[in-house]
Amino acid sequence: MGKYAFHRLLMMVGILIGVLTITFALSRVLPGSPIEMMLGQHATPEQIRITKAEFGLDKPIPVQYYQYVKGIFQGDFGISLRTRQPVLNDLLERVTATFELTTLAVILVIGLGIPLGVLSAVRQNTLSDHVTRSFSIAGMALPIFLVAMVLQMIFYGWLKWLPLQGRINVEVLLDYPFDRVTGIHLIDTLFAGQWPAFKSALLHLVLPVATLTLASLSIVIRITRNTMVEVLSQDFIQTARAFGLSDRLIYYRYALRATLIPMMTVIGLTYGFMLGGSVVVEYIFDWPGLGGYAVGAIVKNDFPAVMGVTLFLATIYLSINLIVDLLYQVVDPRLRSA
Amino acid sequence: MSHKHLLNKTMTTVFALVLASMLFFSASIRAASDSTVTYAMYGDIADWDPASAASLEVLMLVNVYEPLLWYNAPGSAEQFSPALATSWSVSDDGLSWTFNLRKKVKFHDGEAFNAAAAKASLDRTMKLGKGLAYIWGNVESVTTAGEHTLVITTKNPQPVDLIASSQYAAYMYSPKAAKSGADWFNAGNAAGTGPYTVRQWNKAQQVVLEQNADYWGGWNDSNFKRVILKVVTENSTQLQMFKGGEADFISLAPADLMDSLNKEEGLSAYTIPSWKNSQFLINTQKAPTNNKKFRQALTHIWDYETVVKEIYAGTAEVGRGPIPATMWGHDSSIQAPAFDLKKASALLKASGVSKSNWKVTMGYISTSEEYKNSALLFQANASQIGVEVELLPGDWGTVAGNARALETAPNMQSMTWWPGYATPNDWLVGLFRTDKTNLFNFSYYANPKYDQLLAEGIALEGSDRAQAIANYGKVQRMLMDDAVAIFYADIKQRVARASDIKGYKPNPAYASVFFYQLSR
Repeated sequence: MGKYAFHRLLMMVGILIGVLTITFALSRVLPGSPIEMMLGQHATPEQIRITKAEFGLDKPIPVQYYQYVKGIFQGDFGISLRTRQPVLNDLLERVTATFELTTLAVILVIGLGIPLGVLSAVRQNTLSDHVTRSFSIAGMALPIFLVAMVLQMIFYGWLKWLPLQGRINVEVLLDYPFDRVTGIHLIDTLFAGQWPAFKSALLHLVLPVATLTLASLSIVIRITRNTMVEVLSQDFIQTARAFGLSDRLIYYRYALRATLIPMMTVIGLTYGFMLGGSVVVEYIFDWPGLGGYAVGAIVKNDFPAVMGVTLFLATIYLSINLIVDLLYQVVDPRLRSA
Repeated sequence: MSHKHLLNKTMTTVFALVLASMLFFSASIRAASDSTVTYAMYGDIADWDPASAASLEVLMLVNVYEPLLWYNAPGSAEQFSPALATSWSVSDDGLSWTFNLRKKVKFHDGEAFNAAAAKASLDRTMKLGKGLAYIWGNVESVTTAGEHTLVITTKNPQPVDLIASSQYAAYMYSPKAAKSGADWFNAGNAAGTGPYTVRQWNKAQQVVLEQNADYWGGWNDSNFKRVILKVVTENSTQLQMFKGGEADFISLAPADLMDSLNKEEGLSAYTIPSWKNSQFLINTQKAPTNNKKFRQALTHIWDYETVVKEIYAGTAEVGRGPIPATMWGHDSSIQAPAFDLKKASALLKASGVSKSNWKVTMGYISTSEEYKNSALLFQANASQIGVEVELLPGDWGTVAGNARALETAPNMQSMTWWPGYATPNDWLVGLFRTDKTNLFNFSYYANPKYDQLLAEGIALEGSDRAQAIANYGKVQRMLMDDAVAIFYADIKQRVARASDIKGYKPNPAYASVFFYQLSR
C-alpha cells in the first residue's frame, strides 16, 4: 500500500503541474487586463506601465511562467493584484472558513442522506420512496443560488429567524472578541469561552450549510438508494433473513457495509462538488472563504489569485480522492493488491 | 425497533432541536440603533493608503481623514468649508497659495497636525504618484512658513483651493504613518484627523469605524458613535438587507427598482445630481467622421429622450454639452441636438461624403448594458437613413488600447467621465485638449484656438473665476459646433437609504457619505 500511495502522490504532482499550466495559459489568454481593471478607467498608460512592471507582468510570458512555477516550489504563490497581499496568506486565511462550511455540510449530507437513501431502498416504490426520490430530483435540478436566495427570503425576510449573510454578527464580534486559533469560529469561540460569539457563529452557519447540504443531499440519497436496492436483492441478504436476523441488523450492519465502497466514492465526489458549490454559496452569503475569493479573483482577472486558488482547490480535491482510494483498501480486503 | 421508527425518532429530535435552538438563540437580528449606522458596500476596501486610494475607499476616507478644505455642494452660500485649513489666500500672480492651518489638532495616532505634517503628506502623495496624485502635477513646491502656515507654489496659475478639496489624493495623514508606508496602511491601519477612527477590519466582511473622542469638531448626543461599512457583494442580498432594516444605506440599488423601493415604508430611494456623464466621442481625424457635417449628422441620429428614459430608466438626464449641467462653469445656453433623422439625412448629403462610405465603427465597454443598448438603438436608427454602424464591444483594456492609436481607433468611442476635483476643466483638458499621446482624447481633437482659450481660462480659475467661466463657455460652444461627440447623458447618482436618517446632504464632489453629519 505504501508503494501505491507513493505512485499516487507522484501522479498528483504531475496533475497539479498540468492544472497550473492550463490555468496560467487561460488566465493570460482571456480578455480583461487586471491592471487596467485595478487602476480604473482614468489611469494613464504611464501608471499602467509602472504597475505592470511592479507585478512582473511586463516580462515575456514564458519568463512569467518559469518564475511562477519556481515560486510555487518555494512556497511563493505570488502577490494578489487586488489585495496586494501574498496569495498564499490570503488562501490560508480563508481556507478554514470554507472548511468549516463544507465539513458541516458533508456531515449533514451523510447523516441525513444515508438514512433517507436506506429508507427509500427498503420501502421501494412506496409513498416514502416516491417522495424522497422527487425531493432528490428537485434538489439536483434547482440551481444553488436559487435555493440560497429562497432560504434567505424565508428565514431572514419573512420569519426573521436567521441572519442574512456574513460569518458572525458585527457587534457581537466587537463586544466578545476571540483569538484565532484554528480559524474555525465554532471551535475558537468555545476555546475563548465567548458564548454569545459561539451562538452568533452558529446562527450564521445555518443557511449557508443548509444550502450546500440541500444541493448535495440528493446525490447521496440516490446513490445510497440504488446501491442498497442492488445489495438487498443479493443472496446473502435472503440467507440473513432466513437466519431470523432483525431488519435493523440486516440493513445497517450487513447491507450498508456492502455499499461502503460506492458510498465512499460518492462522499469523496461530494466533498469535491461542495468545494465548487461553495463558490456560489460563499458569494451570496458573503462568506469569507476560498469560493468568495475565487469569484473576486476571476471577475477582476487577478491572475496570481486565480492560479493560487485553482491550485489550492485542485490539491484539496486530489488529496481527498487519494485518501478515499487508500481507504478502499482498508475497508475491502479484496482490493488490497497482492 | 423498526427502521421507520428509528428514522422518525431521529428526524423528530433533529427538528425539535433546531426549533428550540432558534427560539433560544433568537438574537435581535435587526438592530436599528440610534448610535450605529450601517452602509452596505459592494466590495471590500482594497487600498488603505490615503495617498493612492482611488475607488470605493472614499467611503472610509472622508470619515477618517480630512483635507485642507471641503468643497460644498452646488447652491451653498460658500463654495468651501474650512477643514484642516481655516483660511487661505492666493498671491496676485496666482502662483502661490497660503493656507493657515487649524491649531490644536492631533492625528489618531497622537502625532500633532501642523505645517510640517501637511507638507509630509503632500510630498509623499506626490512622490508616490499613484491614484489621483496627478492633480498636484503643476505644483512646484510645498513649504512651511511657520508652524501652522503652509505655502504651495505652482508653475502655472492653478485653482489650488479646488485641488486641495479633492476626494482623492488630498488627505492629511500622520507623518509617522507616512514613514511606515503603504504596507502599514494596507494592514488596515489609519491615522487621520477625522471624526472617526478605524476600530476593526474584518477582511471581506466589514470595516467598523468608531467615534474619535478628541475630534476637533466636537460631539453631541445625536451623532452616530459607530459606523459599520459592511461588505455585501451581491445585489439581491443588499436589497434584502435594506428591506430588513439592517442596512441604512445600500450602494447597489437597481435603477428599475427605485420607484418601488421608495414606496416602501421606512425606505427612501431617489436620485441626486452627480458629476458623471457619458458620451460617445467622435473621431475627428478618421474618415468619414473627419468631415464636420457628417459628425453633425450623427448627433441628430441619437435618440436622446429614449436613451435616458428607457435605457437608463430615468437615472440620467439628457446631456447638454461636454460638462454636466450640475458642474459650475456649464454653459447654460447649450442644448442637446434634436433627434431628427430628416435633418441628419440632409447633413449627410451636404457633407459630400459618398454614400458608399457612410460606415462608422463604434467601440464601447462590453460589460455595460447601457452602452450596449444605446449603441444598438443608434445602429437601428442609423440604418434607416443608410448609415452602417459596426459595433465593436470589448473590455476596457482592449478598447482603450485600440482607441489610443489612430489606425485601430473606431469612429465613435464610449466614455464615461468624472472630474478628479471640482473643476470643469477636467473634461475640457482630459478629453479634448490636443494630446499627442492620446491618453483619453479619443476624438483626436486638436484645435490650437481651443487649447489657447482653455489655457487662459485655467490660469484664471483661481483668481478670476468669472473670466474663466466666460472662456470655458466659449470652448464648450466650440466643441458643440465641431460636433466632437454625442454628449448624451448626465448620470444621476442613486441613493437608497433609511427614511429616518437625518442630515444627509448630497454633494456631487464626494462619492461618499459624511456620517458625522447624520443622526437618526
